Amino acid sequence: MEFPQDLRYSNEHTWARREGDRVAVGITDFAQEELGEVLFLELPQVGRGVTAGEPFGVVESVKAVSDLFAPVSGTVAEVNARLDDEPELVNSEPYGDGWMIVVEASNPNGWQALLSADDYRATLT
Amino acid sequence: MATAWRFLDTGCHDAAFNMAVDEALLLSHESGQSPPTLRVYTWLSPTLSLGYAQNVEKEVDVAACRQHGVSLVRRPTGGRAVLHDQEATYSVVMPLRLADREASITEHYHRIGLALAAALRHAGLAVRLERPSVLAAAPRSASPACFAALSRYELSATGRKLVGSAQKRGRRSLLQHGSIPLSMERQRLFACLRVPSNHRAQLLREAYASMVAVNEVATTPLDAAALHRALRQGFADCLTDGAELTDGDLSPAERRLAEELQHTKYGTDAWNLGGPAAWRQWQASSRAE
Repeated sequence: MEFPQDLRYSNEHTWARREGDRVAVGITDFAQEELGEVLFLELPQVGRGVTAGEPFGVVESVKAVSDLFAPVSGTVAEVNARLDDEPELVNSEPYGDGWMIVVEASNPNGWQALLSADDYRATLT
Repeated sequence: MATAWRFLDTGCHDAAFNMAVDEALLLSHESGQSPPTLRVYTWLSPTLSLGYAQNVEKEVDVAACRQHGVSLVRRPTGGRAVLHDQEATYSVVMPLRLADREASITEHYHRIGLALAAALRHAGLAVRLERPSVLAAAPRSASPACFAALSRYELSATGRKLVGSAQKRGRRSLLQHGSIPLSMERQRLFACLRVPSNHRAQLLREAYASMVAVNEVATTPLDAAALHRALRQGFADCLTDGAELTDGDLSPAERRLAEELQHTKYGTDAWNLGGPAAWRQWQASSRAE
C-alpha cells in the first residue's frame, strides 16, 4: 500500500498536498481499499467553508456510506467535477485524478498537526 | 469492563420516524451521549426504502408506489431499494473500534453477521453466513432491488439472500440496519421500480431465485415479535463481548433529535425524492428565508 512521502495524512484517512496557500485533499490508498468500489461522492460546493476534523462530504461504496473528514480548515476553492461521472478514479488513482477538493487554508498551523507518511502508516498496524 | 449495550424495541412507526431514529441513535453515539444499541422495529405501512444516492427519477415508479399504497423514504445508508412490509427490522449502533483498534467495514459485517446468524438459528432457521470472497466472483446484478445482490457477509437460507443490510460509518460510530422479511411480495417490489419492461420478467425470475423470506423456509410460521426476541438473544450471545444487553427506551434527547430529523429530513420530498444534494440546497434556501 502506497503513502507518498510528500503528503500529510489525517487519522480519518484523508491526505493533504500543499500547493502554495492551497491544500489538495483526497482519501488514502488504505481508505479506498477498505471502502471497495466507490459509487458516489457528495462533495461541497466551491466557496463553502470546511473545518479540520469535521465532515466535508460523503462517499458511498459497494460496502458502506462513510463521512469524509477535512484534514485542514479553510474555504473550498476547487472541486473535482470528474468524480461525478468517474467516482472510480478514487480507487484507481487515490493520490492523482481521484483528488476531491482544494482548500484555501485558513490556518497555516493546521498543516503541522497532520501526520507524516510513516506516522500514518504506523496508525494502521 | 465492556460497555453495557441497550436493547430498544421502538415498535411500529412510519418510515420517516423509523429512519430518523436510526440516524439519531448514530449521531448520539458519535457524540458520546448514547450506549451501543440494538434496535428492532416494524413499519406502519409498506415502504420502499432507497439507498443514499439512488436516483428516484431513473429507478422508482413513484405513481405506481402510490397506487400500491407504498410509502417512500431514503435511507442514511447506501445500497439499493428494499420493500419493507411484513418483516422484522434491526439496527445496530456501535463503535468503529473493536478490541481497541479500528475495525474494517468487512469485520463489522462479519461480527454483526455472526450475531444475526445466531439469532436466526435461535428462531429455528437453517441459515448460512456467506463469505464475501465466494460471492465477489459473481457479476454484480443490474437489478435495482437490494435483495437481488448478495455481497459482503450476508445471511442466506436455501442458497438465497435472507437479510439485506447496509452500513453508515461516521468518525467513531457506525450504523448498520437491515431487513428480515417474513414474507415477500416480489411482484409489488418490481411494480414500484422503474425497470425496462423487456427485463421485468427476467428480474422477477432472478428475484425468486436469489431472494427468500423467513416464512418461505421456516417449518412453523414466525412473526416479527419472535424474530425480535431471537435478535436480542443472538446479539447478547455474539456481539456485546459479554456485556449486558439491557432493555431501554429512547432518551428524551434522542427522541427530540429523531423528531427534528423526521421533520427536517426523512419526512421531506427534498431528501426522499431529491436526494442528498437537493436536500442540502433546500435546507440552505429554507435557512436564507
